[in-house]
Amino acid sequence: MKRFFNKTLSALRSDAQLRVGVIGLALLFLIVIFGSVIATHDPYFYGPDSLAAPGQNGHLLGTNHMGQDVFSMLVYGVRTSLMVAITASMISGVLGIIIGGAGGYFGGKVDVVISELINVFLLIPTFFLIMLIVSLFGSDIRNVMIVIGLTTWSSNAKLMRAQALSLRERTFVKSAIALGETKLQVLVKYILPNGIFPVVANTTRGMAGAILTEASLSFLGLGDPNVISWGQMIYQGKQYITTAWWITAFSGIAVIITVIIFYMLGDGLNHVLNPKYSQGGK
Amino acid sequence: METILSVNHLNVTYVNKSRRVMAVRDVSLSINKGDSLGIVGESGSGKSTLAMALLRLHPKGTEITGEAMFEGKNLLTISEKEMNELRWVKLAVVFQKAMNALSPVHRIRQQIEDIYRVHYPKASSAEIRERAMELLKLVNLPPRVYNLYPHEMSGGMLQRVAIAISLLHHPQLLIFDEATTALDVVTQGQILREIVEMEKTLSTTRIMITHDMSVVATTCNKVAVMYAGELMEYGMVTDVLTHPHHPYTQGLQRSFPSLKGDNRKLESIPGFLPDLSKPCQGCVFAPRCPHATERCFSQKPPMFKTGESGGAACWLCEGEENGK
Amino acid sequence: MKKYVIRRIFSGILTILVVFTMNFLLVKSAPGDPIKTLMGKETDDPVLRAALEEKWGLNKPLHEQYLSYLGNAIKGDLGTSITYNRSVNDMISERLMATVILGLSALLISFLLGTAMGIFCARRDGSLIDSVLSTVSYATDAMPSFWLGLMLMIIFATKLNLLPSQGMYNVRAGYTGWRYVLDVAHHLVLPCMTLVLITMSGYFRITKSSILQVTNEDFITTMRATGMPEKKIFNKYIFRNAILPTVTMLGISVAFLITGVSLIEIVFSWPGMGRLTLTAINQRDYPTLMGVYLVMNVSVVVVMIITDIVYALLDPRIRYD
Repeated sequence: MKRFFNKTLSALRSDAQLRVGVIGLALLFLIVIFGSVIATHDPYFYGPDSLAAPGQNGHLLGTNHMGQDVFSMLVYGVRTSLMVAITASMISGVLGIIIGGAGGYFGGKVDVVISELINVFLLIPTFFLIMLIVSLFGSDIRNVMIVIGLTTWSSNAKLMRAQALSLRERTFVKSAIALGETKLQVLVKYILPNGIFPVVANTTRGMAGAILTEASLSFLGLGDPNVISWGQMIYQGKQYITTAWWITAFSGIAVIITVIIFYMLGDGLNHVLNPKYSQGGK
Repeated sequence: METILSVNHLNVTYVNKSRRVMAVRDVSLSINKGDSLGIVGESGSGKSTLAMALLRLHPKGTEITGEAMFEGKNLLTISEKEMNELRWVKLAVVFQKAMNALSPVHRIRQQIEDIYRVHYPKASSAEIRERAMELLKLVNLPPRVYNLYPHEMSGGMLQRVAIAISLLHHPQLLIFDEATTALDVVTQGQILREIVEMEKTLSTTRIMITHDMSVVATTCNKVAVMYAGELMEYGMVTDVLTHPHHPYTQGLQRSFPSLKGDNRKLESIPGFLPDLSKPCQGCVFAPRCPHATERCFSQKPPMFKTGESGGAACWLCEGEENGK
Repeated sequence: MKKYVIRRIFSGILTILVVFTMNFLLVKSAPGDPIKTLMGKETDDPVLRAALEEKWGLNKPLHEQYLSYLGNAIKGDLGTSITYNRSVNDMISERLMATVILGLSALLISFLLGTAMGIFCARRDGSLIDSVLSTVSYATDAMPSFWLGLMLMIIFATKLNLLPSQGMYNVRAGYTGWRYVLDVAHHLVLPCMTLVLITMSGYFRITKSSILQVTNEDFITTMRATGMPEKKIFNKYIFRNAILPTVTMLGISVAFLITGVSLIEIVFSWPGMGRLTLTAINQRDYPTLMGVYLVMNVSVVVVMIITDIVYALLDPRIRYD
């Protein structure tokens, strides 16, 4: 445990991107926890000032057409974004690890089918698939998260497959097989835990993708009307763009900052976890 | 005997944002016309850095002091234009990892033509082809290789192509930088024999950079042993390999199987390379040396003469020199 | 080479088939009754229902529906829009041109500009301009495309009043000939600029990193050791090797670009397939939605096969495998 802690600390010290990412993520979680304290207004409250400019009547970042306080909505929107990011990328990560790991490890016919499937999903514009599913099955936020997860596993699977392919040739895996462990045991005990790191980094970058996808869906009117999301704020603000630019502008900036935090975290993790980057000697 | 290259007090320092790594420190050596000098050392000993500095192929920001006289010119200070005139015509190199020594998306023919025309821009394709055929024959490759892409050849073939390309303009000095390391033992042996054979008809001088003592033993007449950026010992191969003076050379020799085939135990030298970013007082090898005394840690040993033409930087050789 | 191309085409056809089947199953398993939607909420006339089922072929078993839909699609018939009662083919072909103009111009500009910037920065790695451009590319990568479109619209159309922000041409002016082309180009600037800014960073980064990587390869050092001029080394050897990952990226990014184009069309009321998609979503017009998606997938696959062939022409290692 202590070793793990020390390792984390030295990783943080060595990579600036990871540091920024971790601090950013911590801040986002603090905003989620203390949301009701930080928010100046009730974001669900339809106030009397509609389309108030930033600073007007105590509205830090103005209000929207319904008189809701933009700043407070942004604060509550963090929750939606993090929820979407984490749930969707967990689903996509687990699916990718299982599918890619199985393909790379078992090889043969299984791998032919799986790698063809990975290629198909890498190739097609998944956003339209997501859009089709959400418009068919309803835009409840849970649906949105699950669908994003179910359609974006392919890059994780590709990474995991490559890892499994190279791991199964390694001596420690071969000796485990020689010692009589079953294929499934080897997969679970050796291949998955050793090959997972690049996938972890990719999944983190995938969180950024999930946030952008949710925002795009909301922008098409396929958002969940019962939650506050930045994408929907942009969507609603679009109609008032010429008179009340702040609704759209600030919610977009919130998306960008969050996405950059996840990018930093993903790239930082990639530097630290990916064996390709961690070099020893020359 | 005529000296072709003489290196004096060469220092090479890699400068990084936060670190200065002194990769080569105060190395002096010379090589005579027709000699074949092997520079041996483990990885990180600065042997490749030395070669890159002589060829002026070091990364930007590297600091180099000292001199390297080649045909009356200091390679380290002449202009880029003068250097380019020497390159390949007088001074050629074969790199390690033959697999990457050629561009994967161009045919051998294209690359040879381009390289040939660097110095003879007006050369016709037929002329170049003729020279290439001569060289391919010299390195035992069939003519069809000329039209192939690198990925269509084996590592051994690529290595031969790289050697052929290096001989394009009859260079006076040829540097092999770990050129045969990536090959399997059989191919390596074959190519090494070919190099020696080939040199009987060519009048080149060769520097062979390697970590492998046996390569030096089979292909060189002189040897220089490097450790942690410094020259430890030099001399005739026959002398140094039969009677190594420096404890590091002794250790290095024990870590390789004997060529003569007597079964002795292989040993590795305990310890690790020192941190090259810190200046070192005393002998760099002292922390790993079985014979180190207090003096070794505080005072750097100069190069003591050993025998006719050899030298070793070790206090143990001090008396020996006086005794002579 | 022939074998390679055939394999890629087979793989492309498989992709289209998988997507097609997936779409069909999704639409069939969706909750809700399309006939009910068609008839309106209040009416529940069994005769009308039977007639409508007959018309849309919904009374047949599932596999027959699938096969007839597949057969029609292969013949090039994408069916009839539920909401407009018009041929989906017609609706798509009316809008295809607008999307192609926007998508293709954005693709070309961002590819050329991104690659050029990548080369420029690779040769000045670590300089001020390089760090500025790298930071900017990180930020544009994080931007929702539609948001950037809206922001550019505020700046260039609303505040500065420099560029038109809606539509593809001036409806009232009714230009013809060259004036019309110029008018379209004028309307194209904002949506195209948005797309270029969003997609350029990918080409920029991949070009830069691959040039830096190739520059460190042994064969480049060999070329330097021969005394070959830097310019020649770069133009012939570094560039030719470094362009390969950029070409791959071009193929991969098309799917992303198509998504981006659709969203941008909606922002700027560009009369292309993106807007058709939006209306189809709002009206739950599944035949149109599936038709549009199918056309998009076919385009992606076609572009992918073309880039694969181009790649094989550039890289002998693939050509001869």
